[in-house]
Amino acid sequence: MSAQFHQEDEFHDRLDTGLWWKIFRRALRFKHLLFPLFFTAVVLAVCDALYVQITRWVIDGVVHQGAAAPFARYLAGYGAVTFVLCASVWSFINLAGSLSNHLAHDIRRDSFEKLQQLEFAFFDTRPVGWLISRLTSDCDRLARVIGWGFLDITWGFTFVLMIAVSLLYMNWRLGLIVLAVVPPLALISKYFQRKMLLSSREIRKFNSQITASYNESIQGVRTTKTLVREPENLVEFQQLSTQMFAASVLNARQTSIYFPLVTTLGSFAAGLALWRGGYLTGSHAMSLGTLVAFVNFAGQFFNPINQLAQRLTEMQGAQAAGERVMSLLETVPAIKDSAAVLARITAQSKIEIRDSKIAQDGGVANITGIEFRDVTFRYETGPVVLQDFNLTVRAGETIALVGPSGGGKSTIVSLVCRFYEPVAGQVLLNGTDYRERPLAWLQSSLGIVLQTPHLFKGTVRENIRYGRLDATDAEVEAAAKLVNAHEFISQMEKGYDTPVGEGGNRLSSGQRQLLSFARALLANPQIFVMDEATSSIDTETEQLIQRGLETIFAGRISFVIAHRLSTIRRADRILVITGGRIEESGTHAELLQQRGHYYDLYTSQFRREREEAVLEGTPGAA
Amino acid sequence: MFSQFTTIWSLMRGQRLRYGLALGCLVFVTVLNYGVPLVGSTTIDYAVAGKEVGPTTPFLIAMLLRLLGGAEHLRAHLWLAPVAMVLFAASSGLFSYLKGWQASLASDGIARRLKDQLYDHLNHLPSRYHDRADTGDLVQRCTSDVETVRQFLAAQVMDIGNAFLLAATALPLLLSLSVPMALVSFALIGPITIYAYIYFRQVKHVFKEVAEAEGALTAVIQENLTGIRVVRAFARQDFERAKFAAPNTRYRDRNLHLMRLMAWYWSISDLVALSQLGLTLLVGAHWIASGRITVGLLFAFLSYLGIMLWPVRQMGRILTDLGKTSVALTRIREILSVPRESEPVAPPLLLAAPLSGRLAVRDLHFHHSAGEPTATGRGALNGLSFDIRPGETLAILGPSGAGKSTLMHLLLRLYDYTEGSIQFDGRELTSLPRAWVRAQIGVVMQEPFLFSKTLRDNLRLGRGDAPDEEIEAAARAASIHDTILTFAEGYSTLIGERGITLSGGQRQRVAIARAVLKRPPILILDDALSAIDAETESLVLNALRERRGHATTLVIAHRLSTLAQADRVIVLDHGRIIQTGTHAELSSQEGLYRRLWQIQTSVEADFKNELKPA
Repeated sequence: MSAQFHQEDEFHDRLDTGLWWKIFRRALRFKHLLFPLFFTAVVLAVCDALYVQITRWVIDGVVHQGAAAPFARYLAGYGAVTFVLCASVWSFINLAGSLSNHLAHDIRRDSFEKLQQLEFAFFDTRPVGWLISRLTSDCDRLARVIGWGFLDITWGFTFVLMIAVSLLYMNWRLGLIVLAVVPPLALISKYFQRKMLLSSREIRKFNSQITASYNESIQGVRTTKTLVREPENLVEFQQLSTQMFAASVLNARQTSIYFPLVTTLGSFAAGLALWRGGYLTGSHAMSLGTLVAFVNFAGQFFNPINQLAQRLTEMQGAQAAGERVMSLLETVPAIKDSAAVLARITAQSKIEIRDSKIAQDGGVANITGIEFRDVTFRYETGPVVLQDFNLTVRAGETIALVGPSGGGKSTIVSLVCRFYEPVAGQVLLNGTDYRERPLAWLQSSLGIVLQTPHLFKGTVRENIRYGRLDATDAEVEAAAKLVNAHEFISQMEKGYDTPVGEGGNRLSSGQRQLLSFARALLANPQIFVMDEATSSIDTETEQLIQRGLETIFAGRISFVIAHRLSTIRRADRILVITGGRIEESGTHAELLQQRGHYYDLYTSQFRREREEAVLEGTPGAA
Repeated sequence: MFSQFTTIWSLMRGQRLRYGLALGCLVFVTVLNYGVPLVGSTTIDYAVAGKEVGPTTPFLIAMLLRLLGGAEHLRAHLWLAPVAMVLFAASSGLFSYLKGWQASLASDGIARRLKDQLYDHLNHLPSRYHDRADTGDLVQRCTSDVETVRQFLAAQVMDIGNAFLLAATALPLLLSLSVPMALVSFALIGPITIYAYIYFRQVKHVFKEVAEAEGALTAVIQENLTGIRVVRAFARQDFERAKFAAPNTRYRDRNLHLMRLMAWYWSISDLVALSQLGLTLLVGAHWIASGRITVGLLFAFLSYLGIMLWPVRQMGRILTDLGKTSVALTRIREILSVPRESEPVAPPLLLAAPLSGRLAVRDLHFHHSAGEPTATGRGALNGLSFDIRPGETLAILGPSGAGKSTLMHLLLRLYDYTEGSIQFDGRELTSLPRAWVRAQIGVVMQEPFLFSKTLRDNLRLGRGDAPDEEIEAAARAASIHDTILTFAEGYSTLIGERGITLSGGQRQRVAIARAVLKRPPILILDDALSAIDAETESLVLNALRERRGHATTLVIAHRLSTLAQADRVIVLDHGRIIQTGTHAELSSQEGLYRRLWQIQTSVEADFKNELKPA
């Protein structure tokens, strides 16, 4: 389903300037950090170049003037530059650190916000782990590239420029000779930085596979044990860890050849300066201090060029992360309040009086009827699931949806909840198209119990209270009692304060179901939706739940997707859904009399039970 | 600190020679590195400034000059200087490369060994351990903690070696060049080191806070995204937004706090380092003026200071990282020190024959938390006794928490029973090797675990050498073959996070096929048909019944249709057998079975009533 979301980052040979400009524009919101940072980086580079000049000044001074050299001035000059440099170091760390952390915070906040608005279809195709990486590592990485990259690139360019200007100013002929080393230095840096980035990406790739492998082996440890797979598992894992080993060693070798290579080039440049400059100094065409300055500068090219190459390569590497984050931020939710609805909500919010009978947009809060009018629906790329579907549900009605899987039952329910919207046709609430009412109004009127109920890490009480945040403890317990969850909860060590574990994993699936019932009940929803929620509960527990369900169904519109006959029979109306159409509709008794699809469904169950009874010779079955 | 070094020393076992080699290379790197400034210094003084070799000429410089053919020769052939410089730099670089390579082979080798050990160890730890352990925490230890250790072994060990080498060689070298200059140049080295060490010790907890803040942030995001459907179902976006804003801001602010501290550290550290350089420069200049030293010598000292200052400033961080590494190592060792599943001291010698499927359980007791009685004062199993004949199908029924799954886990020896006995073919379970017993029991759980491999590979986990035809036959028996064929890639379809998601019923059927393929003498179905619809269930049960002749089958089920097919049913409650008998016997007795049966058959009675008007 989602192979595309598992591909590792691709390396982009070309910097997408449009993309980086877009990202940089976000950084421009922090002008008060960005401009001082630029200034600091320039000052820093100037200071770095000044040190070499001070050394030259001091050496020439003492060589020519001896003890008469102005030592006090040297001290003052050196001290001043040192002070400015240390101050710039202090401020660039603060500025770049602030910039990247504020940027990361804001991008992360906006991405999270976007995820809260995006429709379900968006999540259908994207694994949770993939999305988490976007909000954590991608955000951090982008912000780091912007904050520190901006600093280093500014500093690097300025420093190289300062060195070049100094060399040419001191002696342009010798300067040109020494500068000849810059192009090969830049090329080598670019080449190796790229290699190192690629191999470190390999490492990351294997690392994430190793993490996944650990995860799987721990979660499946009982299965491994029962299948006695320990030796084979280890062999498979060793292949992975060996691949990671090889990638890691390769990366280390690239790193350890790159740095000696560039320092050797630096020594070559210094040697060049010493050789040619030596002749000049010997013939008194150049001072001794200038010679030392040349040798020093020649050895310092390496640092800024390495920084430049590294940062630019990082940008290439982070480009994929940038694309992913920006595209998330730019995604427009397909399901959202229209401008007209938003205007009504704003108008209503100005009226002070809170009335539970009035919704956010000033409309009626009570839901008295739901109607599907000629609704057609298909999932993004899939085939048509519903075609010209019509259905009217009255207040207080319980609708059971039965039929084969893939027939469209879940789709109908998702459309009611406005998790998806019709491709054509309308869903009407109280006679109004629900796209003309606020999304939040409808969705806060829903109580939903899904097939695999999700609980949040936290206590039993917190999970039930998720249904209504201001519910008192007594109300929480009352809801639990109504769905027969109170008994097992109070038997637990800490009662309602027992932590349920990650995703509720400390509870059995039946217990999770009961808690999700209690949660839905506490919300006191106007519309209740249940999706095959009783499948993993044993018969006695189911019996308990059935009684709880009566309480839930009473006085509200309910949609139930269920296979259990005991649930279905309780419904006011049963719809048999096949191929996106209502094949049959009516009460249990009516449908049995029709002797159609429902009759077949019901009797096959009935016949099977009787056959078994006869087969085993149960008394009274005949 | 000493114990940390010994721990690391023992960790290096098997790779110590490599480390020795790397350190040997490091010696050459360091020594050859001194050559470059020395050539510069010598050239400046003796070839350019025209100084003559005399009794005050330092020994090393005199030697270097002799190597270059004397001052006169160097003056005439100045190109020798760059050649010598590049030679020194290049040969130092070569050793540096060798050092990096060997150090990486050693440290990555250790990391690989640690990972393999951890992986294998986790697979062999008892289920009790895994019940309590947090997967995320374990994975963290196996990956990031190992990475912390690896980084330390790769970089920091070499850095520490480098620091020692510098201390051991730079001091004598500089002293040999000029005693007073050497003393001036080392004046502030000590304070810098101490400052760095104290500083990093002080901010250690801030690093931890940042890591914790990041963990908390990730946890909130993960919770939100895994539960996004629930969030929407209750329209809780505002609540979630507020829940997210706090850790997001905290993570930023902790980072900013760290940045502020780092800004102070680096600016002060720079100030001290630059003061050291300034001191050397100005004192040196003064001595040049008074003729005590030469320009070349000052050049050499400034260059050497440049080489030394960086490692010195890094020492503080390295020493604090030592603390981080030892924490990581402790966390890793905590896992490795948990004993593996025990094996019988003297396993029977003759284990060639497979189990017949005969099973005797006598007075079996089990407590989930060893030693402590549960709230009700009873264990999960309280004196269970029953027998199974080879080939018999025994169904087990009972309310949740009755001890059904516990019993299955004990048979597989995922847990060890506290009292009583389980005998396979008259041999006590604890006297048999775990792996041997498990290999003969096929088990399907209610929520079976499938691996993220292809369907074929998943099925083949049952028996590695099974040919494709048998795999398909097993899939047919479990009524999953036709479903598999509807997937675009058939048996080669990848399942799990990287592939398609199977429904609960499909997973159960895949797991049944996997167990069938194993051809075990004993088959256990732990509520393994719960998500399968009634029609398919009877197909699967029929297929299993056909092979019933050669396998003892234990079925935990709630459905009457499943129970009715068993030879015998036992009803468990609170860890005891409260009823036992055939379906016919039990349905005529008053008790849990009959009550359940009535619940299910009341549907039938109602239906009859409803059909009457029809």
